[in-house]
Amino acid sequence: MIDKATIANPKTKYGHGGTREFITQRISGALNVLFTIFFVWFVVSLAGADRAQMIETVRNPLVAVGLVALIVNVCIHMRIGMHEVIEDYLDEQKQNRLANAANNAFAVLVALATILAVAKIVFWG
Amino acid sequence: MANSIIHRGTGMAMYFGTLLIVLWLGAAALGDAPFGVINAIYGFWLVQVVFFLATWALFHHMFGGIRYFIWDSVNVLDPVGREWITRLQFIASILLTLAAWAIFVWFK
Repeated sequence: MIDKATIANPKTKYGHGGTREFITQRISGALNVLFTIFFVWFVVSLAGADRAQMIETVRNPLVAVGLVALIVNVCIHMRIGMHEVIEDYLDEQKQNRLANAANNAFAVLVALATILAVAKIVFWG
Repeated sequence: MANSIIHRGTGMAMYFGTLLIVLWLGAAALGDAPFGVINAIYGFWLVQVVFFLATWALFHHMFGGIRYFIWDSVNVLDPVGREWITRLQFIASILLTLAAWAIFVWFK
């Protein structure tokens, strides 16, 4: 049963900054509406492009910073989203912890890999 | 209710879909050969179908988020309005998907 005590107890799977995640999810979600416009422009203008064209676009500081900000914001948003799904469907404690660890690792790795790729393109071509 | 699950489904699909961005930018960072491979895979028609569905997932999830903002601020919660706003979400996401692909295919 989920009652007030369960939610207030930080040792249960519910007691991990629920309010903070609620607020963060809505702020990052609102920002994602703006990032969607940028992202769709980016993909539509570069889909099928050759590498030289892609490098030229990504090297634009506004685009590079935009891409990094986008992926960080998206990873924050998707991590919380998956956390909610895990919280809803994985009750067994060990399984729950394992899934959350995998979720955290995935979000961080996606962000880091994208930032690394953008940095490589910007600084070394 | 179904739309709530669809919001989750589209969100989770895009969760793994971020790997497509990582692969695209990663290949571009690595060099001409890997980028050529990724471009060939992404240009394959079945993969393009996946991208088409992913576009819809993106727009549907976005409009779904806007719908939750409207509901969170205690608006359009009446029995008639809440059904209509859901229908509107489907219409908007489908139209925007078609518009984005029309621009991509014909006007680029």
